[in-house]
Amino acid sequence: MRRTLVRDPIFWICIIILTSLLLMSFGNTIFRDGQVDRISNRYADDGTFIATSPLKPSFDQWLGTDRSGNDLFQMMVEGFKWTFGVCAFVALGRLILGLMIGIPLAFRGKRLHGILKIVMDGFLVLPVSLLALMLMLSSLIFPEMLAVPYLSDRLTFEFTILIVLGLPSLVLYIIGETRQILTQEFMVVASTLGGGTWHRFRRHLWPHLVPTLSIIFMQQFIQTLMLLVQLSLFGIFFSGTVILYEGITPLIFEWASMFGYYFNQFSAVSWINHMFLVPTIGIALLIFLCNLLTSRLERAYRIRRHDQPVIEETSIVQNEAAVTSLDDPFVPVRHHINQETR
Amino acid sequence: MTFLARKSLQLIIAFFVLIAISALPSLIVRMHFVPESYWTGLQEQFHQLTKLNEITYYNVTAEREDQLLPALQPLIQETLILFLTSLAVSFMVAILYVSLFYRSGKWMRTFLRQMSRTLEMVPDLFWVILSQSLVIYLFKTTGFDRIEVAGTYADSIRFLPILCLTLTTVFFFIKWLTTQILDQEESLFLELARAKGLKNSTLFWKHLLPTMFYRFYLFFRSNIITVLSSLLIIEYTFEVQGLFRFVLYNSQMPILLVILFLVYLPIFVLDLLAEWLIPNAWKGEL
Repeated sequence: MRRTLVRDPIFWICIIILTSLLLMSFGNTIFRDGQVDRISNRYADDGTFIATSPLKPSFDQWLGTDRSGNDLFQMMVEGFKWTFGVCAFVALGRLILGLMIGIPLAFRGKRLHGILKIVMDGFLVLPVSLLALMLMLSSLIFPEMLAVPYLSDRLTFEFTILIVLGLPSLVLYIIGETRQILTQEFMVVASTLGGGTWHRFRRHLWPHLVPTLSIIFMQQFIQTLMLLVQLSLFGIFFSGTVILYEGITPLIFEWASMFGYYFNQFSAVSWINHMFLVPTIGIALLIFLCNLLTSRLERAYRIRRHDQPVIEETSIVQNEAAVTSLDDPFVPVRHHINQETR
Repeated sequence: MTFLARKSLQLIIAFFVLIAISALPSLIVRMHFVPESYWTGLQEQFHQLTKLNEITYYNVTAEREDQLLPALQPLIQETLILFLTSLAVSFMVAILYVSLFYRSGKWMRTFLRQMSRTLEMVPDLFWVILSQSLVIYLFKTTGFDRIEVAGTYADSIRFLPILCLTLTTVFFFIKWLTTQILDQEESLFLELARAKGLKNSTLFWKHLLPTMFYRFYLFFRSNIITVLSSLLIIEYTFEVQGLFRFVLYNSQMPILLVILFLVYLPIFVLDLLAEWLIPNAWKGEL
């Protein structure tokens, strides 16, 4: 799988774009102290007033500015590390917890799996965004800036909820996937030969699970991003929402929060504008890149599965025939046939 | 008898789980997890079970407290129309697509797969924004105003929500069905049927499709949450007077409990019907 990915140009293009965006975002934080330029009015060279914020995209402000005059390009660059970091952290957290819960349960009997499925069934009919909204609504909306708690407290709270809400379906998936591998012949042989649970997991199960886990990670990443977007649409921005005189505003301008924040301006002020389009296109491209990355991982995984040597019934028969032949019992018949045809 | 006992037990357990979920908002008090508060919330929810018909909600338009259950009927109807129509259209389109895919040659198959793979990457929310923008653009350029972009309390909106939900689910179905077709294509029963000289269309409709039917149901059942999530977003963005939009604006615990029951029960009945009605021959070893 690794060999296929190393030779895949599309995979590398995705990785390079994501890494560049991350470097730019961290670069802005380190070298510019996370500053975003604020330009309220635009003037011509002779000092004539041209326009006031929100300024449309131009040579000076590539993606224009918002109502407060913030440069949208710089906001997008600054916010990317948050969006990427949050989604990656939540996806990783879900994956680690899912493995810690799912794998031991997968080694148990079929009955426990059945009971778990029944218990989890209730969780699988309620949209996660709705449940997340209900859990966060009372805690993450603040009436004024002075009422906002520490960032670490808000992050811990939100990460806990985002991770835990994704667990039920993920645990069921990991159990199903692991149980499928456990029924494979090599696992049955490993068990028959006396391999303990830990040994079977470490030597046989884990190498087979890793490719699937990389795909699950990407899927969880996209799911988390979509969950953040949906929550911001409902007015719950990442790390909290403050109610100001002008309306609700996010505390951190990451991409999903920017989307929700500017969404109102899409429907109320004008039917479409650059303030709304910038985060929308940004998120669409990020989701597209992540989906592309997932599809390349799936492709590499498929190729790996096809590359694995498969012992066909015909080749067994040919080998048996070779053993009974007097010529050279250790050379398969197919080899003889190939030589003759040459 | 065992089947009935198993299903009854499943329903009872599911009810307890749903009550536990509906009480979850009480677990959090000012960003802290408080188990005592959750316990009180649970007790309240159990208490509510005895007087479900007394649950009320605040009617913003009439500015008064109204009975919940009678008010839910039009909302359920609206949600059901969107959900069932989208599912039926998606299912038919997906089946037609895979029948075309099955009969196609290598070049056409690659083209179809690339196209569906690209389109399936578009999230539901972007279909909503794209469709709304297109309709407004159409109105601005041609003056055509027959397509609604948002519903109101009196007028229901159907076309765009159904279109968006269909677009979201159809690629979801296509992906699964295409993978199944490719997996099943080389199976022995199809080889035998092909060797007997059956046509491709007969192979698909008579032999391949029935074997996939139950698997497809199981796939749909395990992924129904994805469709419901899309429905929630679509109801919210198009201002559809549906069940999910209602719970977004009235997120009290008793209302959540009722909505959870209302969503879970039809799915449970559908499960029962699927297990009873689908012939065993179609289920295979599942």
